[in-house]
Amino acid sequence: MTDAAPIAARGLFKSFGAAPVLRGVDLTVAAGFAALIIGRNGAGKSTLLRILAGLWSPDDGAALLFGEPSAALPPAARRRVGLVTHQSFLYPNLTARENLEFFCALYGVAGAPEQIARWLERVGLAVAADDRVRGFSRGMEQRLTLARALIHRPAALLMDEPFAALDAEGVAMAAALIGEALAGGCAIVLTAHQPLAIAKLEFALYEIVRGRLVARPADGGAEPRGAIDPRQPAA
Amino acid sequence: MAGFAAVLRKDLRLELRGGESLVALVALSLLILVVMVFALDPAGGVRDAATAAGALWVALILAGVIGSSRVLLAERDNGCIRALIASPLDRGALYWAKLTAAFIFMAIAEAAAIVLMVLFFNLDFDWRLMRMAPVIALGALGFAALATLLAAITGRVRAGDMLLPLLAIPLFVPALIAGVKASGAALAGAPFAAIAQWLKILVAFDVLFVSAGSLLFEYVIGEE
Repeated sequence: MTDAAPIAARGLFKSFGAAPVLRGVDLTVAAGFAALIIGRNGAGKSTLLRILAGLWSPDDGAALLFGEPSAALPPAARRRVGLVTHQSFLYPNLTARENLEFFCALYGVAGAPEQIARWLERVGLAVAADDRVRGFSRGMEQRLTLARALIHRPAALLMDEPFAALDAEGVAMAAALIGEALAGGCAIVLTAHQPLAIAKLEFALYEIVRGRLVARPADGGAEPRGAIDPRQPAA
Repeated sequence: MAGFAAVLRKDLRLELRGGESLVALVALSLLILVVMVFALDPAGGVRDAATAAGALWVALILAGVIGSSRVLLAERDNGCIRALIASPLDRGALYWAKLTAAFIFMAIAEAAAIVLMVLFFNLDFDWRLMRMAPVIALGALGFAALATLLAAITGRVRAGDMLLPLLAIPLFVPALIAGVKASGAALAGAPFAAIAQWLKILVAFDVLFVSAGSLLFEYVIGEE
């Protein structure tokens, strides 16, 4: 185990055909801190998250999780990562409980039945625990997705628009879960189209502009507490 | 091992509920056998063992292309393959789980296809069918191994579903010839030695593609 930052990017470049999407992105997120990355549609937010998660390889540069290349992360390190993307990663023909059972088995969650019951309660899906996901609304799916991503208590959390499709109560619930993860020392990268104004949550705010990551002081003022210099070394 | 069991249990549970792979396998086998019966001998009557064995293997290959690869392609269709790749699941365990699921589905479909073959080709339900069991099992394993590996490759490209049969069928030809010959010999009541020579080819094919799959799968499934 090293003391490397849980999430880091070093000079990431990524192009699709002739179109550059990321042009030298640097980012470091320490344990217990969150970075919110905003940008227009197609700015490269999801691309950055997928590269950080190890699902895509950068053309140049390095995406690091716990100091190791995210695309070649050993299973023990992958066990410490949570991922929320535009896709729910849920099986429509399984129930909410069965989906969580499956992911608990993959991540080796101890005391899975109790954890599953607790998390279904936390995300407000206890009454739908044994319903198949195919009958869920988009918001219910997103709630279950949050439970799926958090149930193994990750130390690094990558979340692509985690508040999408949630109602006001759902946003408050998701914010509480993210706040708890932060308080527990989790490093988090979130994306959104615009700055989030969610009580009790503080982010270091960045914007992807023409493929580069630019620090943005929140509300035009000073850097929020927990802001991280994107040029800070990974370890 | 826990990951292997979890993925296999999940795939079997989904198949019991959705039945996509099995329904595709059995339905296509049935259709192909019906077409073959009418194409080969529209007037009806007794067919020979070699013809029945050939029709059975044609049905198994064409149905297998669609059905046996579904367990992996379905993960790509719903995007869950990304969750599996990002999870601590060992990719070798993922390969073995997908191969096992594909083999189980093919074995069940083949059992159904053999019953249909006996009915359509006026054969007897007797001990000769039992002698086909190792032939069919080895053929199913080889095809499942080939289809699982190729589905991991073709799933990453556009129109991969179309590409899969173009790659799988030519590669399966050696096993197809051995399978047809061995099945024909078994159905004709030939001595075991006549079957064994073809079984050796099927075993070699299985060893080759199961080994290739277990070695290459983690590299071909890789980046999404």
